[in-house]
Amino acid sequence: MTSAPGTPNAPGTPDVESVEDVAGWRRMHPVTPALKGWKVLVAVLAIGWFQVGENIEQAIDLLHGRAFLLLLGGILLIGLIGFGYSAVAWRVTRFAVTDEAVHLRTGILFRQQRQARLDRLQAVDVVQPLLARLVGLAELKLEVAGGSGSAVSLAFLREAEAEALRAELLALAAGLQRPGAVQVADAEQPTAGAAAPQPFDVAPERQVYELPMGRLVKATLRSGTVPTLLLIVAGAIALSIASRDISAAFVLVAPLFGAVTYVWSRINQGANFRAAISPDGIRLRHGLTEARAQTVPPGRVQAIRLRQGPLWRGPDWWRVEINVAGYGQSDQQQRDTVLHPVATRGEAMTALWLVLPDLGVDDPTALVEAAMTGKDTDGGFTAAPRRARWVDPVGWRRHGVRVTDRALVTRSGRIWRSVDVVPHERTQSLGLAQGPLQRRLGLASFVLHSTPGPVAPSVQHLDAGVAAALLDEQAERARTARASATPEQWMRAVGAPTPADPDPEPTTTPPTEAQTDAPSTAGPAGAGA
Amino acid sequence: MTSDAVPADPRSTREPFDPADVTWTPVSRRLIGARLTVTAIVLTPILALLVLMAVLVGEAWLWVFPAVVALLALWIVWLVPRQVNAMAYAERADDLLVRRGIMFRSLVVVPYGRMQYVDVNAGPLARKFGIASVQLHTASPATSASIEGLPPHEAARLRDRMASRGEARLAGL
Repeated sequence: MTSAPGTPNAPGTPDVESVEDVAGWRRMHPVTPALKGWKVLVAVLAIGWFQVGENIEQAIDLLHGRAFLLLLGGILLIGLIGFGYSAVAWRVTRFAVTDEAVHLRTGILFRQQRQARLDRLQAVDVVQPLLARLVGLAELKLEVAGGSGSAVSLAFLREAEAEALRAELLALAAGLQRPGAVQVADAEQPTAGAAAPQPFDVAPERQVYELPMGRLVKATLRSGTVPTLLLIVAGAIALSIASRDISAAFVLVAPLFGAVTYVWSRINQGANFRAAISPDGIRLRHGLTEARAQTVPPGRVQAIRLRQGPLWRGPDWWRVEINVAGYGQSDQQQRDTVLHPVATRGEAMTALWLVLPDLGVDDPTALVEAAMTGKDTDGGFTAAPRRARWVDPVGWRRHGVRVTDRALVTRSGRIWRSVDVVPHERTQSLGLAQGPLQRRLGLASFVLHSTPGPVAPSVQHLDAGVAAALLDEQAERARTARASATPEQWMRAVGAPTPADPDPEPTTTPPTEAQTDAPSTAGPAGAGA
Repeated sequence: MTSDAVPADPRSTREPFDPADVTWTPVSRRLIGARLTVTAIVLTPILALLVLMAVLVGEAWLWVFPAVVALLALWIVWLVPRQVNAMAYAERADDLLVRRGIMFRSLVVVPYGRMQYVDVNAGPLARKFGIASVQLHTASPATSASIEGLPPHEAARLRDRMASRGEARLAGL
């Protein structure tokens, strides 16, 4: 009944009053319903297609004359309903950006008000599905670490608007002040937020690596799926020859379809992969049909993993994945957690450097190489003892851990090699586990808990005493590292090297002094309204 | 061959799941009663049904099934006290240690500053036995630090203590 409120600034939701004072509510781009309404139609058509697909000839017979018209009318009606719904949804969707948070109001029947705190911002993505890309629109997605479905999605905005908004959100999250606010702040009170806000400058960026299409295709073909695929095809041929019946081969259509889909999605997501570094953090751009531009601010990467399958060993390629709180809550978000789909060894080092500029050792290259290919105590690693071969006869020489001043580096896997790096200050909790066999051998496994994502660091089958000592020391190291970690508002740590630097006048902003505190103080909040 | 099965490193002789400077608080032994009650609630009807079936059908070999269930029950009766005795926790200055298991042992260290929220649960049965469980959550779903079988006042104390210590040491993710 309250489906469409008339006036933009008088919300019909009196029960949620905390955001009453938020000004500057904005709408999405008016083309949004056209882009979103499509999905309903496509979904219905897809369902219809799967229903009919089995016996298409009978279906065509049925469609002569009036039945065809009826079907057409039905499709039209569904389309209209889809677009109508999207249009109403667009009318009630609004968002606003203040200095502390992004507010989003959605919902036709069930109203929802969502508020994402900017100091908890984990990543900002600009996503352009194919259709939106054609008309120059983009979706802005904010990831905050709050479980699945906690992302705030602003869809759709004009491309330039989305980029400007991203720059603004990142700058605010970094703890910078609005360019317009500085002069007033110098004078007296920072009430300038209400004054016409000037746009933030887009942070400069420098490209660090990009992935050639040829390598992506080659690597995908060597990724283990394709050999399996060839095996399937060979099996199909053998089967049909043996049974002298071609229909036997059709059993394998489904796995074939799956494999082809997998290869396509890998190539589609990894195409045009570029990474750049900027004061805002790491920027990743990728996607063939759907273009994504991710920005992960400094200190938001919780853990990093380098992986290499047996077929990638020849050209020495590595897949680099990261844990970012907010990403990787569901399986379909796997594409967000890739830092480099196919990296050469040098690029893998660069990717690691992007996340962790300082590994805390004199020769990081040697360390990473030892982690990638070394075994036993190569490169100063603490390895699993010889008796671990009873529990892991193949890979026991690769299980190892090295602790540096800044991070914990673990390596494992003889055939599928894997290297995990976790900065000390990103350690969530630690664990020790021991099974009956391990106990008899005096071994224990050390586990480091990180946020949800592809990286789950652990060291298997260490000497029990070594593992216990590691647990103790690591708890201590994580604690000291946390105390000196960069604050959530990363620009405040480095004294904000921008024209908007409020340093010379610390009188108006005392909270900048308490850098290591959680930025929960409502000190400069007066500027928000 | 077998020589290396004996730990050579002097450090190995230290019990890995029992750090030296830690005083463990065991969980309440009332948890044994609670867990055995749950077992009884589940197994008694099954046992009764199997015995009834064996009696009604009259075939001798059918008694195998109730015997298996009875053995299972005995094993659980033997296992549960041992399991509960192995469960303990310890509060250190900066982190909480949770230990459990005999066969498959685990030890989890949760820094107070990493705690996102604390759950205190007490079901109807647990309330009857006067126990509650406290579960700690960090930003990692892998942190499986739950302490079962705490007296309610101890659970409340622990919860408040976690909350205050967590706030004092709160850091970003």
